[in-house]
Amino acid sequence: MNGLQVTDLTLRAGSRVLIADLTQTFAPGDMWCVAGPNGAGKTTLIAAMAGVSKTALNAISLDGKALSAWGASELARRRALMPQASHDAFSATVFDTVMLNRFPHLTGWGWESEADRAAAHAALDMLGLTEFASRDVLSLSGGERQRVALAATLCQDAPLLLLDEPLAHLDVHHQIDCLEALSGWVGSKQRSVIFSCHDLNLARRFATHALLLDGAGHAYAGLVRDVLTPERAGAAFGYPLTLIQQDGHEALVPVMRSTSPYISL
Amino acid sequence: MIWTVLGLAALAVFVVSLALGSIAVSPLRVMQALASQSTDVIDEIVLSLRLPRALGGFAAGALLGMAGALLQVLLRNPLAEPYVLGVSGGAAAFALAAMLFSLSWWSVDVAAFTGAFLSILLVLGLARRELWRGEPQDTSPRLLLTGAVIAAGWGALITLMLAVAPENRLRGMVFWLTGDLNGVAMPWTALIALAITLVAIVPAAPQLNVLLRGDIAAEALGVRVVRLRLRVYLVASLAAAAAVTTAGTIGFIGLVVPHVLRLAFGNDQRMLLPASALAGGLAVMGADLIARTVIAPAQLPVGVITALIGVPVFLWMLLRRAP
Repeated sequence: MNGLQVTDLTLRAGSRVLIADLTQTFAPGDMWCVAGPNGAGKTTLIAAMAGVSKTALNAISLDGKALSAWGASELARRRALMPQASHDAFSATVFDTVMLNRFPHLTGWGWESEADRAAAHAALDMLGLTEFASRDVLSLSGGERQRVALAATLCQDAPLLLLDEPLAHLDVHHQIDCLEALSGWVGSKQRSVIFSCHDLNLARRFATHALLLDGAGHAYAGLVRDVLTPERAGAAFGYPLTLIQQDGHEALVPVMRSTSPYISL
Repeated sequence: MIWTVLGLAALAVFVVSLALGSIAVSPLRVMQALASQSTDVIDEIVLSLRLPRALGGFAAGALLGMAGALLQVLLRNPLAEPYVLGVSGGAAAFALAAMLFSLSWWSVDVAAFTGAFLSILLVLGLARRELWRGEPQDTSPRLLLTGAVIAAGWGALITLMLAVAPENRLRGMVFWLTGDLNGVAMPWTALIALAITLVAIVPAAPQLNVLLRGDIAAEALGVRVVRLRLRVYLVASLAAAAAVTTAGTIGFIGLVVPHVLRLAFGNDQRMLLPASALAGGLAVMGADLIARTVIAPAQLPVGVITALIGVPVFLWMLLRRAP
């Protein structure tokens, strides 16, 4: 079976159960948004699905094979992870930084080939970063750094992307550009993206599916419009939401305090 | 290309080191001394005094350059240098103790290596969660703090020994602490250590490039981070231990050489690690040449020269790049 399969997965932070007995398939061609309040376990879940935390390797399988059975570089060619934060202690060009993600494709003495350089250029082009190629990563703004990290993840050329808050620090224009680039990338082949995100409206617009965590062990999964509803999302985030519609646009917005049922109670 | 230039420069300084000194010898004569088996006084000077010293200096500098570059990657900290995790402190404390009890020169070397090794084990034990157990996570600050505290502890012991040492031993002890190549008779152990270090870590250079992006990012790219961190720590520490045992605690090379190369050529570890070895060896050999010729026949400790030249050169390179 293709895709990422999670079976009876339980994740804990200390003694707190973040996710209890989650069973879910993430099929190729889907774009999943993982949503939930702070500390609900989004990062923990994404790290577990990438196989970088050793706690749940046997509860997660990729293409029908448990993560523990994958070789390290074989897995790195199958899935890519964009961590929430990346480190830049020393100066390097954007191009060289992006090309580091070609590591799983290196052979021999570990020098990049022409194909690796082409992949790095293509990834930069895809996110409109062509002109940044020779910039120093230490000179980038937070949002630019985030886009470079996303380009690096794309450059890894793995059919499954696991992105931890890829839209953080981005302005709305670049959020939409990145999501459009990712949707196009998913649609063109049998690829998939799983990303965590705090903007429920962007998630409703671009994701096909959503996984909503409430931080108390519960998770709701399904088509994005069935999961990120005012009722479910409001309950998970602990604040009432309402869906407003205008000219074919919709938005989930927080209910005004004065009409909040929590106040009237 | 970078390696060729550095290698040729090192070779040139090597030949000049053999030629210059209290008796100047022409480079041609140096070649003859190296090639022939004859034993006149010039051959004697070149082969048994200057040759071991130049080779020992090169090996110590190369080891320090690599150790510095490696620890800067391991700790993801530009301020890291070979002595930051306490290796040199352990070596110095034991070496000074050996000198305090006026043991023979070779037992000072043995004591230095023993101290360095104990210090490595101590950090390994105390920072085991960071170095070789557990999950890949970004734990560098704890490892750095553990090492820095150990180093501070050794520092106190060193000061204590300097305070109680009799006057006539003090000079030798201070020279050792500054780094001194005088009396290097057996450069072979350091050269072998250098060869082992190169073989042990240069093949891992692509992994080290990735490790700089963070533990989690590296693990996701297929690097076995915990294993790699342990390997880097051991190789860098043992390299520093071998260098310190050979030449005392020569300062500044391990911090500055990798940075100068980075500023000039970028931060690709595949280039940087061998280049750090060549440039570190070149720097110490050159500094020692100056140390023993500038106020000849008196000799300065090589560590003074490395710092005196290193500080302005480094500041110039750093500030030149400022916007």
